Amino acid sequence: MKFLIKFVALVTMLFSFSVYAGSHQKTIMLSTKGPGAGNPFWASVEAGAKDAAEEFGVNLVILSPPQESDVMSQVAQIEDQIAKGVDGIAIAPTDPNAVAPILDDAIASGVPVVYIDTNGINEGVTFIGTNNINGAALAAQYICDNVPAGSDVAILQGMITQTTGQHRAEGSNKGLTACGLNIVAELPANWDTAQGMSVTEDIITGNPNIKAIFASNDNMALGAIQALKNADMLDDVVVVGFDANPDAAASVAAGEMSATIAQFSYNMGYMGVENALKLANGESIPDNIDTGTVLVTAENAADFM
Amino acid sequence: MDKNQESTFIKLIPFFEKYGILLLILIMVTVLHLLQPDVFLSWRNVTNIFKQVSWQSMLALGVFMVIVTAGIDLSVGSIVMLSLMGLAIASKAGLPWYVVMLVAPAVGFLCGLFNGLGITLLRMPHPFIMTLGTLYIFRGVGNLISGGVPITGFADQIRVIGNGKIKLESILGEGAREYIPTSLILMIVIFFLFWIFLNHTRIGKWIYAIGGNPGAARAAGINVDRILVIVYTLCGFLAGIGGLILAGRTNSAYPNAGLQSELDAIAAVIIGGASFFGGRGTVLGVFAGVMIMGILRNGLNLMNVSVFWQQVLIGSIIILAVYIDVLRRQLSTRN
Repeated sequence: MKFLIKFVALVTMLFSFSVYAGSHQKTIMLSTKGPGAGNPFWASVEAGAKDAAEEFGVNLVILSPPQESDVMSQVAQIEDQIAKGVDGIAIAPTDPNAVAPILDDAIASGVPVVYIDTNGINEGVTFIGTNNINGAALAAQYICDNVPAGSDVAILQGMITQTTGQHRAEGSNKGLTACGLNIVAELPANWDTAQGMSVTEDIITGNPNIKAIFASNDNMALGAIQALKNADMLDDVVVVGFDANPDAAASVAAGEMSATIAQFSYNMGYMGVENALKLANGESIPDNIDTGTVLVTAENAADFM
Repeated sequence: MDKNQESTFIKLIPFFEKYGILLLILIMVTVLHLLQPDVFLSWRNVTNIFKQVSWQSMLALGVFMVIVTAGIDLSVGSIVMLSLMGLAIASKAGLPWYVVMLVAPAVGFLCGLFNGLGITLLRMPHPFIMTLGTLYIFRGVGNLISGGVPITGFADQIRVIGNGKIKLESILGEGAREYIPTSLILMIVIFFLFWIFLNHTRIGKWIYAIGGNPGAARAAGINVDRILVIVYTLCGFLAGIGGLILAGRTNSAYPNAGLQSELDAIAAVIIGGASFFGGRGTVLGVFAGVMIMGILRNGLNLMNVSVFWQQVLIGSIIILAVYIDVLRRQLSTRN
């Protein structure tokens, strides 16, 4: 029993020390859509945030829901951290509509908020992330340059309920239409490899002359490639993904995926923390901060593996 | 141990049986208070916990009644989503707010009725199958009527249940920021009403009876099918109220609402000491089960612990809670 009391006292002391040690620093919360341990994209966002925290002397708190669909878990984490007294929040909202009220609460109680990766609906909140319309247009341009004019092409959309999904659908549709390609199918496969595969199977069954597929993320592009391989059509079809995750980069290097679009997820974490801190210090920041995109082909794929 | 000690120990068993779970909450609160002295017991944090568990507690209470009848309802998470979508569509259609508010519980009621009638009329071999089916059906219907997109922005009156604040300025003086969430009041009222229903009405006692021994209940002249329809309908109704609370909390009807929350509800009921084989469990236990999960998640969030650990801990508590129950049963049968 004595041991237990000593142990509890020790733990309490340790925790109170860490509170005191951190009291002169600002604390910034990073809330992503899923833990970095389960997803290389979020891992690189977290890496950027950690580097920024070290550089600017910020106490960084990273909390994420177990999966993207667990919206209320993200809401609860933000609520709890506001109660604890964070100075700023950089958040990638799992569902922009559903997290809006708690973010309004945060702003009302003096905790500034910036969005990273996915834009939200709260007015006057800065968005730091990829301009997905431009990114998808870049992918469309690559397809235009690599297939004959008038060819049949298809778009695999992400979750069309999300702004990211909508913007990539919009940018690719505009780009492909503008250079005179014939879009035969635009179907959602919800960011998922298995769905990307089955949707592609349906598309190529109905449209055997298809020349290119733009998939709104790499997972769906990898699914599409699997479906094309099974149908012996991969050599005739240009597949372009989005995100440049390591698997996709390897596929590009191996000559299966033609290209993908890289987002600078590291920048999202880094700039998210940097700008949330600026707001916490009373400085002002622009409404939109583009973290940039770049085309990844066989030439530069090695940089992303 | 000697005879004397053993008998004191045995005398304590009924006490632990009734209040052991409250003791566990007390220990959790004490430890978290020691770890987070400035935050954990602050007004804001305590109200946060109640706000966070309020909608899930409705699901847990409904699933509890179902489990007492030795059944299961896997569709409550989807009922939350469908009732939320129904509410949102009624709101977009411009119906007056008091009608819109009734839509969510009404949709939940109908979903529950559908479950109950399906289980009894179609003579399903187990409620697991009917409600597994409706888990998909209700979410599918919700996506069909909303087009799979979130519907956002409800009138303040609609949001009162989930987001309302009863300010305490009149008690604590001008400028006091403390408040009681409306959802807490609702939770207390509903749990109290269902405690009366289950413990002090004839139907409530029959619900326990058919869970304990359906054959004997039938022989005693209880219309088992009718009671089952009532139980599943009430469970759906409570999930509908959960949807109404969520509408207030998020100001949005979103496609992933309530996803997998049926598992949280079942976990809370099991942690609260209800038997999966029916006939045993208390409303207070359910409340405690809900609070244990809420407090654990809140405490771990405050200490910046990864959600992966939250999953591991909640899973462990489920197994531990049931194992303690098994040990206790062994002791009481041996003596």
